[in-house]
Amino acid sequence: MGDPRILVVGAGLAGLAAAAELACAGHQVLVVDQARQPGGAVHRQPLPGARSLASPAQARRWRALMADVDAQGARIEIACNTRFGGVDHTGTVLLTGDAAALLQPQALVLAVGAREKVQPRPGWTLPWVTTAGALQVEIKTTSEPPAGRVLLAGSGPLLLALGAELVRLGQPPVAIIEAARPFSHPLQSLALPPPYMVEAARHLARLVRARVPVFTGAALTRISEHEGALLAEIATRKGSLGLAADRICLHDGIRPNDTGLTDSTALPVLRLGDCREALGAAAALADGRAGGAALAARLAGLPAPAASSALAREALAQARLARIYAHDSAAALAALPADTVICRCENRTRADLDALGPSPTTRQLRLDGRFGMGACQGRFCADWVARLARPDAPQPLGIPRWPARPISVAELLAAPDLTSGEFE
Amino acid sequence: MSGQIFWNGTALPYRPGETVATALTRAGVLRFGVAPGGQARGIFCGIGQCQGCLVQVGARLTEACLLPCRDGLMVSDAGGPQHG
Ligand code: FES
Repeated sequence: MGDPRILVVGAGLAGLAAAAELACAGHQVLVVDQARQPGGAVHRQPLPGARSLASPAQARRWRALMADVDAQGARIEIACNTRFGGVDHTGTVLLTGDAAALLQPQALVLAVGAREKVQPRPGWTLPWVTTAGALQVEIKTTSEPPAGRVLLAGSGPLLLALGAELVRLGQPPVAIIEAARPFSHPLQSLALPPPYMVEAARHLARLVRARVPVFTGAALTRISEHEGALLAEIATRKGSLGLAADRICLHDGIRPNDTGLTDSTALPVLRLGDCREALGAAAALADGRAGGAALAARLAGLPAPAASSALAREALAQARLARIYAHDSAAALAALPADTVICRCENRTRADLDALGPSPTTRQLRLDGRFGMGACQGRFCADWVARLARPDAPQPLGIPRWPARPISVAELLAAPDLTSGEFE
Repeated sequence: MSGQIFWNGTALPYRPGETVATALTRAGVLRFGVAPGGQARGIFCGIGQCQGCLVQVGARLTEACLLPCRDGLMVSDAGGPQHG
């Protein structure tokens, strides 16, 4: 017997909005999240006693969503510290952690958000070189600045936002290195929806007041360790310079966090929010609501509701942002020196990739090159390997295997099997 | 009711609700283990995706960035990701 519940993976904006819609239609919903509290990346909650860094608008949005969830009472159950291990061809889902189980839900909603794109650079594997998102997790939970000097590099609006947050915490970054030239597109910027403009203006004002150097059209080309600190080599439009820092945060945009999210023909599987298309917070909320309502209609045999106009608006805004932040990342990739590590898990370099010869096949890349075969299943190298191997026609680096993440035998044994027998 | 975790046998304080990764970060620990190429590993993505922050808890390797601290938890640095 199948489980009558609908399983939602991810208690961020998209997942909870979908859960609220489904519960409102009378369904029993189990929402799981790997973190210790709902919130997702955008609304990550502070530790007990730490103050929230959320803006008033962000706090309002979260409170409103949680009120919708609470209004559904026992129809929505939220289990934290619980991870999704994948779904197989029989429709069986493996959960590990606090709510460990093997179960066959009526439907599966995947709302696991985005992850960051980080272009490989020599030295990007050194300790204390992290993603910008990793630092954001730290400061959102502790509301404390990190120890030491921080350098932010890469491309995308998150760099300015994180820089401004560091200023607010009394620890301005050493500099922000932005590959694009976002300030040279005033007309595109003016066409952005007002909330984007207000936020950007607030961040910039903070950075300017704290005199944080922002280099645009610039790239961090190498990181090395020097006298107990990190040394960043930076190519600017006016020449090169070196900057010392204790921590370097890299970020080159976001992408759907879709590795290992296989489909199953045994049950309806839906992807909602950033893991379907990375369009940001407002879109994730709209997509979650629309997707939840559409799934409820489908399960009831009703026609699909009309598509959300909010989603289309956000997609347009994100396309504008992408144009504002456009830059030649292909040139930077092509110029990577031979000793650059591409696959972080298995320490495979540009030279290892080139040794496979011109236009290697996916099979060669995986079996001979061992690219995409490490513990992260290519989450941080597959896109770059594909682009380096065939710059004109990148091919996906193959399909990740079940489970979606490394799972110990002990975790597997600890998961009670709820797939057999009558479900109560 | 915060307590302490043990990192390679050394007691470190933590705050209720925080992950092993944040507790180690505050204590200045950057190196969580060794990657196959011999280079040091540590926190990278912060969200359970990169496997850079694997630490050893009992017999198993697990992501420090997702592991909640609890009083008396014994954590040690792990070698490289285990194969086979
Ligand atoms: S820092 Fe990437 S998995 Fe923990």
